[in-house]
Amino acid sequence: MRNILWVQFKTSLAVNLQYRAANLIWLLGAVLEPLIYLVVWDTVANVQGGSVGGYTRSDFAAYFLAQMVVGRLTFTWIMWEYEYFIRDGTLARRLMRPLHPIWVDVADNLAYKMFIVVVLIPVTILLIFFFQPALQTGWLDLVAFLPALLLAFVLRFCVEWALAMAAFWTTRINAINQVYFVVFLFFSGQLAPLDLLPGFAQTLANVLPFRWMLAFPIEVLLGRLSAQEIVLGCAIQLGWIAVAVAMLLWAWRSGVKQFSAVGS
Amino acid sequence: MAPDEADQECPVCVEKLRKVYRVPVREAGVGAALRSLVKRNTKDIAAVNDISFRIEPSEIVGFLGPNGAGKTTTLKMASGLLHPSGGSVRVLGYEPWQRRREFLSQITLVMGNRNQLEWDIPCQDSYDLLAAVYRVPPAQYRQTLEELTNLLELEPLLSKPVRNLSLGERMKCEVAGALLHRPKVLFLDEPTIGLDVTMQRRIRAFLKTYNQRTGATILLTSHYMADVEALCKRVVVIHHGSLLYDGGLSGLVEQFSAYKTIAIDLADGRAGIPAGGWGAYGEVIEEDGGTIKLRVRKQETAAITGRLLADLSIADLTVEDPPIDEVIEKVFASQP
Amino acid sequence: MLHLIATYFRLGALNELQYRANFWINLLQSSLSLLSALAGMAVIFYHTDALAGWLPMELLALIGIYFLMSGFINTFVQPSMERFLQDIRLGTLDFVLTKPRDAQLLVSIRRISIWSLLDVLLGLAVLLIALQRLGRGFTLPQILGFVVVLAAGAVIVYSFWLILGTIAFWFVKIENILVIFQSMYQAGRWPVSIYPPALRVLLTFLVPVAFAVTVPAEAIIGRLEWTTLAASLGVALAIFVAARAFWLYGVRHYSGASA
Repeated sequence: MRNILWVQFKTSLAVNLQYRAANLIWLLGAVLEPLIYLVVWDTVANVQGGSVGGYTRSDFAAYFLAQMVVGRLTFTWIMWEYEYFIRDGTLARRLMRPLHPIWVDVADNLAYKMFIVVVLIPVTILLIFFFQPALQTGWLDLVAFLPALLLAFVLRFCVEWALAMAAFWTTRINAINQVYFVVFLFFSGQLAPLDLLPGFAQTLANVLPFRWMLAFPIEVLLGRLSAQEIVLGCAIQLGWIAVAVAMLLWAWRSGVKQFSAVGS
Repeated sequence: MAPDEADQECPVCVEKLRKVYRVPVREAGVGAALRSLVKRNTKDIAAVNDISFRIEPSEIVGFLGPNGAGKTTTLKMASGLLHPSGGSVRVLGYEPWQRRREFLSQITLVMGNRNQLEWDIPCQDSYDLLAAVYRVPPAQYRQTLEELTNLLELEPLLSKPVRNLSLGERMKCEVAGALLHRPKVLFLDEPTIGLDVTMQRRIRAFLKTYNQRTGATILLTSHYMADVEALCKRVVVIHHGSLLYDGGLSGLVEQFSAYKTIAIDLADGRAGIPAGGWGAYGEVIEEDGGTIKLRVRKQETAAITGRLLADLSIADLTVEDPPIDEVIEKVFASQP
Repeated sequence: MLHLIATYFRLGALNELQYRANFWINLLQSSLSLLSALAGMAVIFYHTDALAGWLPMELLALIGIYFLMSGFINTFVQPSMERFLQDIRLGTLDFVLTKPRDAQLLVSIRRISIWSLLDVLLGLAVLLIALQRLGRGFTLPQILGFVVVLAAGAVIVYSFWLILGTIAFWFVKIENILVIFQSMYQAGRWPVSIYPPALRVLLTFLVPVAFAVTVPAEAIIGRLEWTTLAASLGVALAIFVAARAFWLYGVRHYSGASA
């Protein structure tokens, strides 16, 4: 299995190199989004005398730059691809291999991230110089960041892969994905740090899994959480991962049954 | 610049036509891919190399050649899609690459593996669009469409979107759509590719009828011999961008084939096979019990035929030209 | 020429209209988009009374125009441009170039997405609500100014998309080149004045988001300066001419002309 994955990884890397211009364009859009929110909140903080809800302008800079990095390292795009895999025979081919198709997507995802990290690092450094974020990260925070980030990625990948399974039952993928991303926008900490949401929204954010995909690793990185909170957070991440994997397996099995019955 | 009177007599006239491409050269592997980021190696390739020919009005001419021979490139230069690198091409007296409106209104392009009809709307709607694009007067549009519908049996297909049609039905509709504006010159690039045998015959029959009725000049590229045999009295063979042959079909075999085929039916069936095998007479192409086909040199045909009749007990013997497909294949294979 | 455009639009619209289900799906998606924008605005104004000098209802008007312009782009500009890129990839552009009509015209009108007009309607509704809440009167010059800069914005956006598409003549592999506009356009949800100077220049002159959204919004809420109006018209003319010239150059390159 490791051999197949390694080959897939290398192939994906080569493809990414070929489509480097297209990849840069995607990256541009992805980098711009947190920057826009940064500028908006920066403007609000400016008007309100330098800070909003406990976040100063440099706090916002730190938050959204961290969000940019964490976002790029944890995101997936599989929910847009699956309907094409089903239609053009890619899925049928993958089902014939002695390997669960999810692993191909994992290799593909990691290859892309390895590719863009090369560009992401200098871009991040540049933006740090430009926006002057307030950084209060300690060594422990950095160490704790890695597992938090990894768990966030696993959780996000599982949930979004399960979401991709919707392609087995409907062609209205765009609508379904849009619902997911709108909810994600608010409750993962993408639009604003979760502390800034109105009370009822914050409660909701704590109950939903999205916070653990994005906001949590950001807060760890920025040194905003105590050791206890970090450990508790990781535990919750693991809990949600268990739920997500169960969901994923169920969606996959039903989906494949549907696929085999109906064909593509 | 208006076309000369003399040029009107020559629907397609090509003189020392050249098309040169600069192509990037690169090997496989990640290392080579990274190196190519820094330095690009290129090579000049002549896709079309000094080709000259002249087509007469109402002729149907077939362009034969393997993939990459330069047939499609020549066609594209004639239809105005590509600028020649050298030489000249004139179609209906115009220089095609100038893409003058009057020129484009009188030609049409059909590509076998690509559709110009809109995918999701009924064929009829695509036709309405084409009529609007070519500014075909309504009465003429109706009449032409009626004729084409009858000739190609399009009646059940008109209200269906192209994506619901089979490959053959799609091609019929494509061809009809290309002729709505009654062009004088037709450029057909592999029009029967991928079609089943019946549909190939239908399309060929239609093209022949269309040519007889309207006198349109047809330039047809193909790598199917059958297309050319059915439609074209004149064949132009292109390989590696050069013109190998320009003339009638029979002349093609004469010029390029050094062999003939002798088909033998043995009177005693299997039992009649000579003890030493067929090597003394010729090369065996086909063997089925008592029926054998031999390949022999043209000059030796008479002599070998004589020997066969003398040595063996033969029920039937025929001397044939080799299939043109084979001839062409050998021609292309022999040119490096 | 008008007959040709009318034929394409008529047939395109009629054919899409037969898929009724798409109406509801598109309505759902457009509403969701709008809801998201409004909720975002609500979170912001939970913490402040004004954003860079823009009052909540003024920002709402901006959002209305953002959706209106989105609708225009998604209905008339994006479908044709995406079709154009597909044509280059598949080699079917040859069919366009052998027609006795201006290729730029054909390429620009080939596809429309009729359901995206819902975005235009929603945007208009939001705009009207915002204006009504603002309670300011309208002068005729103000309305005229708005219409003019809105039209100029549309021309600028179309020309920009055409330039992006023309680049595909050289770089066929950049399948998502049109995404450049869409990524930058999301910045148009907020008034361009909030962005740092470097980004503001980028969003005005490189990717014309400012002229598409912020300027018409300024016009309708009564903030338009004469200089901005003049700039809008000037840029519209300049970019249209430049896009046309670049297009012709691209076609010549595609057909292998040495010049």
